[in-house]
Amino acid sequence: MDVGLGVLLDAARLPGARLTDLAVRAEQRGLDLVVVGGVQGGLDPLTVAAWVAGATSRILVGVADAGVPPAPDTGDPEQPFPFVVDKSLDGLGLLSGDRLLRGPGAWSVAVDSTIDAVKAAAGAGVPVVVAVRTVHDVDRVVELRVVDHARRPASVRARRMPGIDYEGVPDVLAAGVVEPGDSAYRSVASTYMRGGAPGLVLRATTVEEVAAAITFARRHTDLPLGVRSGGHGFSGRSTNHGGLVVDVGGMDGVEVIDPDRRLVRVGPGASWKRVATALRPYGWAIGSGDAGGVGVGGLATAGGIGFLSRKQGLTIDRVRAVELVLADGSPIRASDDENPDLFWALRGAGANFGVATAFEIEAEPIGDVGWASLALVVDDVAEALEHYGRVASEAPRDTTLFMMIGPPRGGRSVMQLYGVVDNADPDTIISRLTPFARIGPIVQQSVTVSAYADVMDMTDTGPGGHQGVGEPVARSTLFREFTPEVARLAADAVASGGVGILSVRQMGGAIADVPEGATAFSHRDAGFAVAVLGSNARRVDAAWDPVRGLGIGSYLSFETDQSPERLGDAFPPPVLDRLRELKRRYDPGFLFRDNFPIDPRPADARLEETAR
Amino acid sequence: MTDYGHDLIFGTFVTPTARNASDVVDLAVLADRSGIDLVTFQDHPYQSSFLDTSTLLAFVAARTRNIRVAANVANLPLRPPAVLARASASLDVLSGGRFELGLGAGAFWNAIEAVGGRRLTPGQGVTALREAIEIIRAIWDTDARGDVRHDGEFYRTDGAKRGPRPAHPISIWVGAYKPKMLALTGTHGDGWMPAIPNLPNGAASYPDHNARIDEAAVAAGRSPSAIRRFGVLIGGGFGGTPRGLLDGPVEMWTEQLAGLALEHGVSGFVVATDDPSTTQRYGLEVVPAVRELVARERG
Repeated sequence: MDVGLGVLLDAARLPGARLTDLAVRAEQRGLDLVVVGGVQGGLDPLTVAAWVAGATSRILVGVADAGVPPAPDTGDPEQPFPFVVDKSLDGLGLLSGDRLLRGPGAWSVAVDSTIDAVKAAAGAGVPVVVAVRTVHDVDRVVELRVVDHARRPASVRARRMPGIDYEGVPDVLAAGVVEPGDSAYRSVASTYMRGGAPGLVLRATTVEEVAAAITFARRHTDLPLGVRSGGHGFSGRSTNHGGLVVDVGGMDGVEVIDPDRRLVRVGPGASWKRVATALRPYGWAIGSGDAGGVGVGGLATAGGIGFLSRKQGLTIDRVRAVELVLADGSPIRASDDENPDLFWALRGAGANFGVATAFEIEAEPIGDVGWASLALVVDDVAEALEHYGRVASEAPRDTTLFMMIGPPRGGRSVMQLYGVVDNADPDTIISRLTPFARIGPIVQQSVTVSAYADVMDMTDTGPGGHQGVGEPVARSTLFREFTPEVARLAADAVASGGVGILSVRQMGGAIADVPEGATAFSHRDAGFAVAVLGSNARRVDAAWDPVRGLGIGSYLSFETDQSPERLGDAFPPPVLDRLRELKRRYDPGFLFRDNFPIDPRPADARLEETAR
Repeated sequence: MTDYGHDLIFGTFVTPTARNASDVVDLAVLADRSGIDLVTFQDHPYQSSFLDTSTLLAFVAARTRNIRVAANVANLPLRPPAVLARASASLDVLSGGRFELGLGAGAFWNAIEAVGGRRLTPGQGVTALREAIEIIRAIWDTDARGDVRHDGEFYRTDGAKRGPRPAHPISIWVGAYKPKMLALTGTHGDGWMPAIPNLPNGAASYPDHNARIDEAAVAAGRSPSAIRRFGVLIGGGFGGTPRGLLDGPVEMWTEQLAGLALEHGVSGFVVATDDPSTTQRYGLEVVPAVRELVARERG
C-alpha cells in the first residue's frame, strides 16, 4: 500500500464552515487522511475532529494527543483530565468506525505543498499531510498524488489485474484512478446493490477526463466497462470483476441557469437528494425516483418513475438537453434542436450511447408535501393487490403511493405503502390517504408535512457508503392495471417464496400525457411498474414467468436479466429497430455493452453468433 | 397554573452505549428526522460501557441537520470549565448554533476520584458549579477586554484566553435537586433540567421546586421566566392500554405532557428511550399534538 496522502486543517485559524468543507472535499477527492491540528485560541481540535468524523464517512481522521501532564491540577479550569481525553479518543474511534488516527507520530507533515516536500515527508513511512486553507489547496494536494501514484510501490503493483494497461493511464486521469492495491479501493469497488472487484476505477470530473477515460476504455474492449454515477442501479453494471469503471460521481454540480424557465443544469454524479436540497430555496423540485441516494446519470437516461411522476411525468420528460461523450471520445449535445435522434434515444436507452456529463432539466414549483409511510396487515394478498391497484388507479395525480409486500408469515403479509401527496393541506392529505388505509388494518403509520427535499433526505442511504455484496436478482414488468388475474398470479409468486419482495410503483397520470414514441422509453400506457427481488435467478424466474406473460413490457432500471428477450420487453420492435440504427451510428464498435446492450450488427450476424 | 411563557422544546435522552455506537447515532438521526428539537446524553466518563459524551455530541451534530444537542448533564468534576466552555463554543460554531450546555455538579464521587477527579461535598459542589458558570460565561464573552482571571475557592487562573465565541447565546441548563442547587439555578442558570423520577415526589415536586428557583431569581434581580423548566421522563411505550406516565396511547402521552406544561410551567420535555419506533411516534405524533393542545389552552 502507498503511505497515503492527506490534508492538515488548522482549527485555530480556519472558520468552522470552512473546516467542514475542506474535510468533505478531501474525502470526495479521494485523499486518505484529514488531520485536525491547532493551538489554543481557535476551535477545540478534539471537538473539530469528532465533527469532521461525523461529517465524513470514509476518510481517516487524525488528531494529535495534547500531551497532558501526568499530574493535573484539578483547580486549573484549562487542564483536561488525561483519563477523559483518552476516553474521548477511544469513543471517537468507535463512532467513526475505526477511522481515528492518534498523532502526532501517525502522520508526517510536509513542510510545504511541493512534491519534493511530500516525498521527503513520505520517508517516515507514515501518511503525509499538507496544510490547506482553501478548497483550491485541497485540489492541489490531490494533484500531488498524481506523481505519487505514477510510481506506485511494488506492493500496489502486485495487486494489478491482467489485461489492463495501468502504466498507460492518461496523465489527465492520473489523479482520479484507483487500482486494487490503493487505500481508496475499498470505497470504490462495490455499489449499492452489487459487490465488485474492478481492475481499475477511472474517476472523471471534467468532460476532458471523461473523454480520456472512454479513449482508454476503447483500448480494453475485451474487458467489462461499467459506467457509474450514483452507483445505485440494479440494472446498470456500475461495477464488475476485473474490468474498468468510469466513475462520474464527482461531477455533481447543481446550478440554476435560467430562473424564468426554471432550467437547472445538473451533473450526472449529483444525488437526487442533492438536487432536491439545491432547489429547495427556489421552491422547485425535479421528480426522480423514490430514493434520495440515487444518482442523476443512471436515472435520467433510463426513465425515472417517482413520487412526482403522475404530476410531472417521468424525469426524462423534464430533460431539455443532455451533454455526453460518445464512444469515439467526442463530446456532443443533444436536445430537440441539436441531434434530436440522439436526444430521443438518450431518454430511455441512454446507457447504450455514451457517458452523460451534464443534463439540463426543467424543474416545477412545489410547496410542502405530505410524506406518508403506512404498514397494513393483509390476509389475502391477491385481494389486497387488486384493492391497491384499484385505489391507486383512481387516485388524483397529486397522490403517489408505492407499495412493497413480502411472503406471508403465519398466513399474513405486511403491505408497506410509502409516498407523497403533493399538497400541504393536512385535510387533503388525509382524504387522499384514506382509501389506501382501508386496504387492511394499519399496524404502523407516519404522515408528515415535509419539504420535498426532506423526503429525499429521509430516503437517502446514509453516509456509510456503498458496501453491496453479491449479485441482486430483479425482474421488472409493466402492467396496465391490476386485473384479478394479475393480482392472483402475483400473489402466488409471492407465496411461492421464490420472490423475496414484490414492489409496485404507480405510473399513469402525466407519464401517459407524453405521446408513445416521443422518447425511447416505451409503454406509456402502463399503470404500474412491478419489480420483484430475490436471490436466486432460477427460482425468481420460475415464480415470475407466469405473471410476466400478463404484462405489457419492462422497465430496465429494475431488471437484471440482460437477455435479448428483456430488451425486447422494454422496447417494442419499431423502437428497438430505431435504437439499433442509432447504435450503428453512434457506437458502431459496440463499446457500451454492459447495460442492456443493443447489438449494432444486423440480425443475421447476431444469429450467427448465437448459433456458435 | 404556572406558565413561564416559553415555546416548547421536545427532546430525547439516549443511552450512549459504546457497544452500539452506530445505533446511538442512528437514534439521534431518527429523532432529527422525526421533528424532535433536542437530543441529550448522560455524561459519566468513568462508566466504561458508555461513549464519551463530548465527542458523541460533536459526531451526532455533524450527522444531523436541525436538532439541538446537549449533555444531560455534563459532569463538572471531570470537565474543567474552560475546557468545557471551549469545546461547547466550538461545537456551537460548527453546528451553526445547535449546542446547549446541560451542566451538573457531579455525583458518584468514588468513581470520579478513581479516574483523577477530586471529591467534593454537596455544598462544595454548588460553589464549584457557581465558579464554573462564571468562568464559562467569561470564556464565551469575547467582547470583554483582557484574559479571564478567576481566584475562587475551587478554580484559579490568572489569565485564560477568551474564545472561541459561540454562534448563538448558549443556554446553561442545570441539573439541580437540592435547595442550594435550585437557588443557584435561579441566580445563574438559563434552565432547570431535573429527571422527574429523581424528584422527591415526582412531578408533584414542581410547585415547591419552581418556587425556590423563582425566589432565588427574583432576589438576584432576574425574572423567573429567565429560567426554562424541563422534565426528563422515562418513555414507556405506545401500548393500547394506559399503564402509567408515558406508557399508553398517543392521546395519553399528549395529555400528560400538556398537563406538565400547563400546570407546572414545564416547557422542555426530554423523553428517555432507546427504542426507534417510540422515538418516531413521539416526534411525529405526540409532539405536534402537545404543541397544539398547549397553544389552545394558553389561548
